[in-house]
Amino acid sequence: MSYVLVVAEVRRGIFEERNLDSIGLCALLGKDAILLIPEGDYGMNEQLVNGLVRVKTEEALFLNPLNMVNILEKVMAARGKPDMIVFTNSASGIELASYAAGHFNLPVITDVNGYDKERGIFFKSYYSDKIFGEFRPSGEGTFIVTVRSGSFKENAAGKGSAPPAEAIEDVAANAARTFVEYVEEEKTDVDITKAEFLLSLGRGIGNKDEIPDYEELAGLLKAVISGSRPVIDKLWLPKARQVGTSGKTVKPKVYLAMGISGAFQHIAGMKDSSCIIAVNKDPEAPIFQYAHYGIIADIHKVRDALKGILKG
Amino acid sequence: MNLIVFTKRVPATQEEELRITGEGKAVDLSKVPFKVNDWDNYSIEEAVRIVEKSGGAVTAVSIGDAESDEVLRRSIAMGAKDGFLIETGDVLHDPNARATLMQNFLKKENVPFDAIFTGVQSEDDQFGAVGGILAAKLGLPFVSMVIGIDATESDHLIVRRELEGGLQERVKVMLPCVISIQTGINEPRYVSIMGVRKASKVERKVFKAAGYQENVVNKIEVVKWVYPPKKAGATILSGELDGMCKELLGILKEKGVYQ
Repeated sequence: MSYVLVVAEVRRGIFEERNLDSIGLCALLGKDAILLIPEGDYGMNEQLVNGLVRVKTEEALFLNPLNMVNILEKVMAARGKPDMIVFTNSASGIELASYAAGHFNLPVITDVNGYDKERGIFFKSYYSDKIFGEFRPSGEGTFIVTVRSGSFKENAAGKGSAPPAEAIEDVAANAARTFVEYVEEEKTDVDITKAEFLLSLGRGIGNKDEIPDYEELAGLLKAVISGSRPVIDKLWLPKARQVGTSGKTVKPKVYLAMGISGAFQHIAGMKDSSCIIAVNKDPEAPIFQYAHYGIIADIHKVRDALKGILKG
Repeated sequence: MNLIVFTKRVPATQEEELRITGEGKAVDLSKVPFKVNDWDNYSIEEAVRIVEKSGGAVTAVSIGDAESDEVLRRSIAMGAKDGFLIETGDVLHDPNARATLMQNFLKKENVPFDAIFTGVQSEDDQFGAVGGILAAKLGLPFVSMVIGIDATESDHLIVRRELEGGLQERVKVMLPCVISIQTGINEPRYVSIMGVRKASKVERKVFKAAGYQENVVNKIEVVKWVYPPKKAGATILSGELDGMCKELLGILKEKGVYQ
């Protein structure tokens, strides 16, 4: 029986919402989705899939790529090879997918954000999201994809009945890599998720010495400063100010992005803001696709002009 | 500890306008400046810090054309002992092909290592899959998204990997292993032009990729390159700078965040 295996991403008892994109892709392909998930109550809508394989193992063992390949071996021994194995395009999804691809010698396409059913083509972004590649596996047989969050979830639909469930037991834990503990981010006094107006800074600010001038502008505007990943990586702003998948998800009334090109991981963290205003000198910057208003100009000049007006 | 770090020369496309040519056959990168992949810069720095503290050597390895020597010189300037170029004119879009080439090279040249570092992904293809595939092919444990190395012991590492929403996971991984380094793990040292010039006096070895082609096949293929579908997009303000800024302030007032 032809099927697609969807490897669920579960974390600390939560069924991550991005799993719906994996399930949605199966629906778009018109294939039966069999969900691979650790045993436990994850509070998900099971009717979205055609079947479940519950693995009697702890979550941390399940999310370990060294164990996942053993789990996949058991699934394939019991059910036969799937047409496709789908993972989320997240920190764990890509880790699991790439290791499984190497272990089973399978084709892999990561970060898939679209599918053309007629041509059997997967879309994947390249070059700072400015170009998409149309990809397909070169031959027949099982292949692996990871799915970009937000790409397919609207295709996921209930089947109207509870799906059959199978179980997998006796998963050996590989000692070469072991989970130690989760580490939470340190609590700080500033919570950018509570701000109504964020002035967010990106790589385009150029260097750290520019920060005080933007802080002054934020003060005049009564905005809270946040930033994109490159600015945090370079230690120009503290980690608590980071907007994006690995930082905070924000939904302010106004998100004023200066010098942010708009990598997908950043967009995912701010796209639900009521009003997005982008300032960037590159008219091709992906952020203009998501913004409500845009200014194509040198951000320092815009900053200085705004300051000039505000100081009257 | 002996560390192998893979480093790649990539087009810096952040602020460039890209053109597709030949009806989707190619992306014109001829006018785009090239640089070291951001993730690899952090990987080299992390590896150099480890050997500075506890001994051993860093070997930087790059797959690419002759121009990729640039990122090897840079690695040596940062503290790598050796620079190896696996020279090929092929672009290798398939991470399986790339990882298999790496595997063949490491096996044939018998390069000793305790750990292999790769960047989490490369900026150009954004695949993020080479480290994991290589680890599995070598039969080694793998950890990706490494944002901190808390302990380096004789037989294992304690690392932190970055998850979503500010959460991290601490993991113990036995040596030898493959780990993929995330940006922000450290603050890479500044590399001066003088430093690179000095490094260019250190011999870099060139190996022809043709010698390591066993099982290097493309398991996926690029059918065509296309521009991303356009969304509604932003209303672009126009006019003089002062006028645009006044309009911007008007929007802020209208949205109720500025009086």
